[in-house]
Amino acid sequence: MAETLQTPTRAEKRQARRLRRFDNPWLNPKLIWGVALLLGILLLGLIGRMLWNLDLVFTGSATLKLPPVGFENLRKQEGVWDFPLGTDGSGRDMLALIIIGAPNSLFVGLLASLIGMSTGIVLGFTAGFVGGRTDDVIRVLSDVMITIPPLLILVVFQASFGDVSLTMMALLIAGFVWQSPTRLIRAQVLSMKQSGYVQMARLSGASTGHIMFREMMPNLVPYLFGSFIANVTTSIVTAVGLEVLGLGPQRIPTLGRTIYEAINAGALIQNLWWWWGIPTLLLAVMFVGLLLINLGLDEVSNPRLRKLS
Amino acid sequence: MSRIPRDYLINRLVTLVLTVLIAATLIWIIPRLSPVDPAEIALGRMAAGAGAVENAGEILETLRAQMGIDQPLIVQYFKYIKGVLLFDFGLSTAAFPTPVSALIANALPWTLGLMLISLIITFIIGNLLGALMVWEKTPRLWKVAIPAAMVFTSIPPILSGLLLMWIFAATLGWFPLTGAYGLTVEPGWSWDFATSVLHHGFLPALSIVVVTFGFWALGMRGLMISVQGEDYTTLAKAKGLKPRYILYKYMIRNAILPQITAFALKIGLLIAGQVLVERIFAYNGMGKLLYDAILDQDFPVIQGVSYVIILMTALSVFIVDLIYPFIDPRVRHEVA
Amino acid sequence: MLDDTETVLTLTDLCIEFPTPRGLVQAVKDLNLSIARGRRVGFIGESGSGKTTTALSVMQMLAKPGRVSGGQIDLGGTDVLAQGEEEMRRLRLSRVAYIPQGAMNSLNPIMRIEPQLWDAILAHEPGVSRPDLKARSDAALVSVGLPVHAGRLYPHELSGGMKQRVCIALGIILTPELIIADEPTSALDVVTQRQVMQTLKEIQEKIGSGLILIGHDMGLMAQSVDELAVLKDGELVEHGSVAQIITAPEHPYTRDLISSVPVVGGASFLNPERRAEAPKRDSSEPLLRFEGVSKVYGDVTALRPLSFTLEGEVPQIISIVGQSGSGKSTMGSIMLGFNPPTTGRVLFEGQDLATMSAAASLDFRKNVQAVFQDPYACFNPFYRVNHALKFPFKRFGLSEGEAHTQKAMEEACVAVGLDPDLVLTRYPHQLSGGQRQRLIVARALMLSPKLLIADEPVSMVDASLRATILANIYDLKDKHGISILYITHDLATAYHVSDYVMVLYKGQVVEAGPPKSVIGDPQHPYTQLLIASIPWPDLNRPWGEGGAEDPGVQEAPTIHRGDVAGFDLVKG
Repeated sequence: MAETLQTPTRAEKRQARRLRRFDNPWLNPKLIWGVALLLGILLLGLIGRMLWNLDLVFTGSATLKLPPVGFENLRKQEGVWDFPLGTDGSGRDMLALIIIGAPNSLFVGLLASLIGMSTGIVLGFTAGFVGGRTDDVIRVLSDVMITIPPLLILVVFQASFGDVSLTMMALLIAGFVWQSPTRLIRAQVLSMKQSGYVQMARLSGASTGHIMFREMMPNLVPYLFGSFIANVTTSIVTAVGLEVLGLGPQRIPTLGRTIYEAINAGALIQNLWWWWGIPTLLLAVMFVGLLLINLGLDEVSNPRLRKLS
Repeated sequence: MSRIPRDYLINRLVTLVLTVLIAATLIWIIPRLSPVDPAEIALGRMAAGAGAVENAGEILETLRAQMGIDQPLIVQYFKYIKGVLLFDFGLSTAAFPTPVSALIANALPWTLGLMLISLIITFIIGNLLGALMVWEKTPRLWKVAIPAAMVFTSIPPILSGLLLMWIFAATLGWFPLTGAYGLTVEPGWSWDFATSVLHHGFLPALSIVVVTFGFWALGMRGLMISVQGEDYTTLAKAKGLKPRYILYKYMIRNAILPQITAFALKIGLLIAGQVLVERIFAYNGMGKLLYDAILDQDFPVIQGVSYVIILMTALSVFIVDLIYPFIDPRVRHEVA
Repeated sequence: MLDDTETVLTLTDLCIEFPTPRGLVQAVKDLNLSIARGRRVGFIGESGSGKTTTALSVMQMLAKPGRVSGGQIDLGGTDVLAQGEEEMRRLRLSRVAYIPQGAMNSLNPIMRIEPQLWDAILAHEPGVSRPDLKARSDAALVSVGLPVHAGRLYPHELSGGMKQRVCIALGIILTPELIIADEPTSALDVVTQRQVMQTLKEIQEKIGSGLILIGHDMGLMAQSVDELAVLKDGELVEHGSVAQIITAPEHPYTRDLISSVPVVGGASFLNPERRAEAPKRDSSEPLLRFEGVSKVYGDVTALRPLSFTLEGEVPQIISIVGQSGSGKSTMGSIMLGFNPPTTGRVLFEGQDLATMSAAASLDFRKNVQAVFQDPYACFNPFYRVNHALKFPFKRFGLSEGEAHTQKAMEEACVAVGLDPDLVLTRYPHQLSGGQRQRLIVARALMLSPKLLIADEPVSMVDASLRATILANIYDLKDKHGISILYITHDLATAYHVSDYVMVLYKGQVVEAGPPKSVIGDPQHPYTQLLIASIPWPDLNRPWGEGGAEDPGVQEAPTIHRGDVAGFDLVKG
């Protein structure tokens, strides 16, 4: 109230901007910022690979426990520009570690989510359209699988098999992220089946394929995106969780494994904050990016949300 | 109980049983597909302890018989399922003659306590903050502060655990770094022990709360916006009800319903997240037990812990489902 | 006529505006009006005319970002616009009550009815004891014709009419000076509408408050209010006693509103130019045939066994009328093949819908089209509206190329009175309900089916547009030779458009025959009840009494009122 009195022009400008945004929901700042953050991490991986010496990622390629430039460690050593983000307990360069590690996490998340999503689309549409027994089986199965925490099954798996590749890990995680999209799509398909435009399409002699992909799918897009991004987050959380338990890929540097090693080496007590802090920060940036995208997509699919903020 | 529709009850029971069965089966099958022989691991451990083992072949046979892995797979499976139902997971290979169930019985209360407290606190705080994001009478400052706090949400619990640990334990020294209670206090029903437990439990609980409240807040925000647009909210205002009353009895009370279902669905993920937090804080619960078992390749313990956590998850979902018809009167009348 | 001391509401130069992306919109302009104690004033106008906005401003409940930009609102001596939030809260319900449009969703779904009445009392009179609350809520429920035990139920356990009564009970529980009823009966069928409206009038007379009734139906207004205020685009265009406005309307818009109400026996709003021949058919079989068709959902019988034959040699309009739940929409979806019958067969040109080959099925789709109730839902929000016209045209092989399709679409638009350049490339949300429904009619026209199922085609369209759209549909038969099954709850329109009428009650035909007999001179008590319950814009006509559950209605046998050539209803 008070603000409207003080600066009516500013309030009105803001109002106008808000209303413009209402017209094109895909251009909301949350979505743009979120995508920018994720692209930033991808670029770090791509450009880093071209500009930085990646051999520094091997054990013993530098002095141990060097701090980032501008800081001093407990042994009074100062950071050097050869290793701008410092080195870890076994002499690996932090910058090289994150250049290789960060895109890996994103890769696992995207791949797992992509597979989960595709499975979800197929199962969701099947359940919604075929109905009957098939629907029952799919529904109960997704109800059951959604309560089983993927992390535990993966722990059992990794512990039995030892080392796994990134792709294998993504495949395993995919086995646990198809349930929510399946449920979401099934519910949407069931409600859309009753909608006027689907009935109109049936009256127009449309085939089932046309109804699914031309009439229903376009309207599902914002939901699918939202579900996809939520799954990327879940997948990365699961992957990082495994890595922090020391159960991820053993031969490839990942952010989670770096944290695992830092904790095991007592980096917290030794105040080697860059060792665990830098990968943590990077993961945080990644998750903030994903969160912003998700919020932005929410605004696209739910026009009521646009009135606020 | 009579007011819960029978079909609904049967439906939920089938889901419960299937969940437990499928999870138990998965946990059993996966290690069988692996080339690692648990008997050899146990033998290796003996060898490491005793320096040399002479009659290795015989011991291996005995171990296999003890572990039951010399029998046909199908027999093993049914024995396993029977055992699992009686909470008999065999003997730990790391702490060899100790039954797995005894180890779990020691760890379980810690996890349950931490979990119950942190889950309930997050659920309440998260939903309340989410509701306040939408409510028109919320002070301006809050409307800015809550979304800002959301940044924490996007961080997995292990990371927040690390940060909190670094700030409050390693740097400030306000809270102990690890453990569930102080080494100097004797476990028991004493004041010292209780304060020590609370002191040690604070950071792990906080790190769970900090990262999960945002999940509820976001969901609640979306739900509240829909409820705000409902006709009954408009009529409540037209009735001249007090804004706070409308917030609690009309808006939150309706918006919370889908959140309760979501609680059931997400409980598995939340518990798994907590396992990681326990591992970081070296908290004496299931997470630490699991982590140590992984280091020791102690399969019976890994299986047992995983199974018990999944059982807890499935049971929580079942309980939420049973309570639900009493919270939403509409469910009692129409069964999906 | 009005005594100043008795005035409960005075609006002086009221202006309300809404900021939108395209600048400020004046929702209400310089409105002057006063309402005396005990008077009923109708606010009539189309959607967007500012009638609800005006009413909400009296309670300071305008939807954001709307605001009162000028003028005064005086509620029985209180300057409403000068009240703070807390004072305003106390005014609501105790002095001005609001009865909402969507009674279906206006009650808190997880609270029983009683506490929802109690919290309203307690918000204004803290500390009322439990027995007093109970006594007052019971009295309020009884006063609106509800049993006391209804208070212990949850909203979803009540029917639509009962929920609306609860909302009225809520409105009068603190005996306010002014009641605002916002289209309180728009979701109800005619019989329930009449009963609820009569209850509202009685109780308002008893407590002597002023009443604002918002609506768009001139007939309902004529039966319910003393004064009428006609609003158009935010301006009050005419105000006076209801008798004066109905007998001698001055403003042309008022005249339009009155003439748009179809009246049984009155002048027809249709002017048939020529009779078209039915399209040449290859089949000698009748167009549509029901053989003992019934539908049962669980233990509810939606439709009792029904047999009829529609020859289709001459285009005809067959009306199926009934209240909601009478089985008429079930019948429509069975005819369209969306819903298989529980027993019996539906034959289209001699072929059973259930056992049709794929090719025959496509042919059936081409020849049997539909217009549905909700014109908004019929367009996929993802596409421009021309998608709905273009796609079936191509799918059924009628198109001879892009240019031909475009030309066909444009011609169809013109035929239903739309400017193709203005509508075809828009998105559905950019068009009005009337435009959308006309496009659906244009779509049917383009495909030139043999049979059209029109399921409540005008019930969600503004009253003034209903006649035009019905005329468009009538043209389909008249100019293009399409047979039509017209499903409706509106007997007056059925009277004018149809060749044969079937009245459906609880899944059974209770009266059937030519409209002049069935609707013009009803014999079955149910048909009589329906017709008596229609609100007529005629002050001298009684509004009927009784309900659909009366034993006389339930037990009366089916009455056949004569046949027409080309349609044969099997009497059973």
